[in-house]
Amino acid sequence: MGDGSSNRTNSNSNKPEWLQQYDLIGKIGEGTYGLVFLARIKSQANRGKSIAIKKFKQSKDGDGVSPTAIREIMLLREIIHENVVKLVNVHINHTDMSLYLAFDYAEHDLYEIIRHHRDKVNHSINQYTVKSLLWQLLNGLNYLHSNWIIHRDLKPSNILVMGDGEEHGVVKIADFGLARIYQAPLKPLSENGVVVTIWYRAPELLLGAKHYTSAVDMWAVGCIFAELLTLKPLFQGAEVKGTPNPFQLDQLDKIFKVLGHPTLDKWPSLANLPHWQQDVQHIQGHKYDNTSLCNVVHLSPKSPAYDLLSKMLEYDPRKRITAAEALEHEYFKLEPQPGRNTLVPCQPGETFVNYPTRPVDTTTDFEGTANLQPPMPVSSGAGSMPGGHGSNRTVPRPMNVVGMQRMPHQPMQAYNLASQAGMGPGMNPGGIPMQRGVPQAHQQQQLRRKDQMGMPGYPPQQKSRRI
Amino acid sequence: MSNISPITDLMCEEGGASFLVEYDENTSIDSLYNPCFILDDEEKYIEYLFTQEMGFVSESCPALSSNHDCSNRFWLRSARLDAIDWIFNTQAKFGFKVHTAYLSMTYFDQFLSKRSIDESKPWAIQLLSVACLSLAAKMEEQNVPSLSEYPSEEYLFETRVIKNMELMILSTLEWKMGSATPFPYLHYFVTKFCPRSRPETIITKAIDYIVAMVKDINLMDQRPSIIASAAVLAAFDATLTRNAMDHMISAISSWGNIESGHVFSCYNLIQEKKRNKVKTPSSILFSTHSTSTCVVENPLDTSSGTKRKLPFDKS
Repeated sequence: MGDGSSNRTNSNSNKPEWLQQYDLIGKIGEGTYGLVFLARIKSQANRGKSIAIKKFKQSKDGDGVSPTAIREIMLLREIIHENVVKLVNVHINHTDMSLYLAFDYAEHDLYEIIRHHRDKVNHSINQYTVKSLLWQLLNGLNYLHSNWIIHRDLKPSNILVMGDGEEHGVVKIADFGLARIYQAPLKPLSENGVVVTIWYRAPELLLGAKHYTSAVDMWAVGCIFAELLTLKPLFQGAEVKGTPNPFQLDQLDKIFKVLGHPTLDKWPSLANLPHWQQDVQHIQGHKYDNTSLCNVVHLSPKSPAYDLLSKMLEYDPRKRITAAEALEHEYFKLEPQPGRNTLVPCQPGETFVNYPTRPVDTTTDFEGTANLQPPMPVSSGAGSMPGGHGSNRTVPRPMNVVGMQRMPHQPMQAYNLASQAGMGPGMNPGGIPMQRGVPQAHQQQQLRRKDQMGMPGYPPQQKSRRI
Repeated sequence: MSNISPITDLMCEEGGASFLVEYDENTSIDSLYNPCFILDDEEKYIEYLFTQEMGFVSESCPALSSNHDCSNRFWLRSARLDAIDWIFNTQAKFGFKVHTAYLSMTYFDQFLSKRSIDESKPWAIQLLSVACLSLAAKMEEQNVPSLSEYPSEEYLFETRVIKNMELMILSTLEWKMGSATPFPYLHYFVTKFCPRSRPETIITKAIDYIVAMVKDINLMDQRPSIIASAAVLAAFDATLTRNAMDHMISAISSWGNIESGHVFSCYNLIQEKKRNKVKTPSSILFSTHSTSTCVVENPLDTSSGTKRKLPFDKS
């Protein structure tokens, strides 16, 4: 992969050749890793298809290609799953040696969906949507774990949801910058300029465990499940800054207040955890009143939803429910059953929420600085597709019926990476982290359409080129 | 429903993973190759690695094994031996794991199977060595030196040149940087083949053998599990017959249709190298390339008829 395109520039543009296959719409995210842009494909086959382009921040010349970029691309190019975001291309800008990843664009994410319910519509997310989101999140995670990949940074903003189109309402797990395959090395989380929120961090990690297991992702899923139910982060601890990996007492305190004190009885390996041993005064000494999880999440202790949640929030990582087991939980067998389009409930009478599209800063170019082009006039609304370049062929498209079909209850597929090794190299899923707080653009782009074809694949490997 | 099985639990080392401080034949190996699995997870993980290996296609490096253009082939073999020396010396200097150096050699061999370098560009081999090791360090090590810290021999490369080479390797290898190596198998094979021995002793020896073999085999020619098993068996018992070995190998059912003949020839290569080492006291690892160049020509390769032969155009 890596397009073999050169950086010849034509007379009209200073853009490298690879970039000319896209219309850049604007910036949609920014973070320690770099910038994310929204762009549309110009080529005939996929005209107008939305693509998120992640530009890695230029590492210092002296460091070479950033390890995070290498790991993320390496992982993403191997994984293909409906519930994992799809990496469609990797571009190398040879002039400045910067790296760009092109992903299928997802209009929503759980952070925005939760925020919309909390701050705008003022009512909870309907049961069908919560259950469908959770099911698909677990489905993607089960695939990752079966392939020995731990995500390590699951949080609402990394769980994307597709906008209008054939995949409307489908969950995509994104941002694999911290993900790892078993036995790859691991830097302490705070190193490398990476900031990971501690709210979704498993108690064994907070207590200084040296071993990571896939159970850390399940803890995060439990926290996200609760947040979908209550619209508030479940354990909102105040982070202790400092290096490396300071002891997060407040976060543990928040957890213990809800779940009670962990005991050696229920969690035998607790005795071996460094912070448990070292910080006897605080964490072993403090007494917690009996607060109960069911009150916090407003669930009956007898409900299947509560049963599943409490199994995800099991202290002992060895006893914590796995993704595969969670998918088989009774909660998913009861009405309303989970469906493929998480946002559009099948039940008549259920509330349908129109989620806002992602804000786009159209004043930013690929360098993240200068003014680009005059913003395009855009209209929005169901069924009416805006004009503007790149969308001349767009046909108004009503709400997709296919996307509303129920997900059948079937045993989990056996995912086997080896059997996928022969697949076309163009089919690579990916992750797009989206950072909050992007300035609201004057023009919001609501252009969307679907296309039948995937992105053009990576060019075939040239053999025996000389260097 | 609440029946907990640890099958999909993944375990990895956080934070202070141990390092092998220096490569030295007497250094005891750290616990790195005793994976920190929870019991039954190791079996599952190894099964997964076996299935991953099924996609392992012996794709010999045309540059290293094509039958014509002998002079360039000869040059490249010797250049490869120099690269190995540089990589393992530098690995020791930085305190990287042996695994890191080995991984960088898998990149090296894969790269040369897709692109060729000829005699007119001796610097390119050095540049390739630096960039391969730097990439492997980024995959495996917690503390990665900056590009300018890599020691240079004849040529001094600007860091942006090295970065460019990194990008070239990444795209040539299509970003498949998680190459399989023999190391994750070692602990498993020790428990299977020699359950009563001290794993540390056997693993330490086996790692020595694996490293020594890097000089003689193209890493794309042999499945990593075959190399690992031969090394463990050689470390366990130097007098195994083919029959005895077949018997031991058959104990691992999940391995699939393994060619025990490959394990045996790999095992024999190790024995042969041990004998040579007794004759010549200089260390195998850092021996000069003149002794082994072209002497062992892909001894393990059984598929030479299928190799792609790509012409070298001399420039």
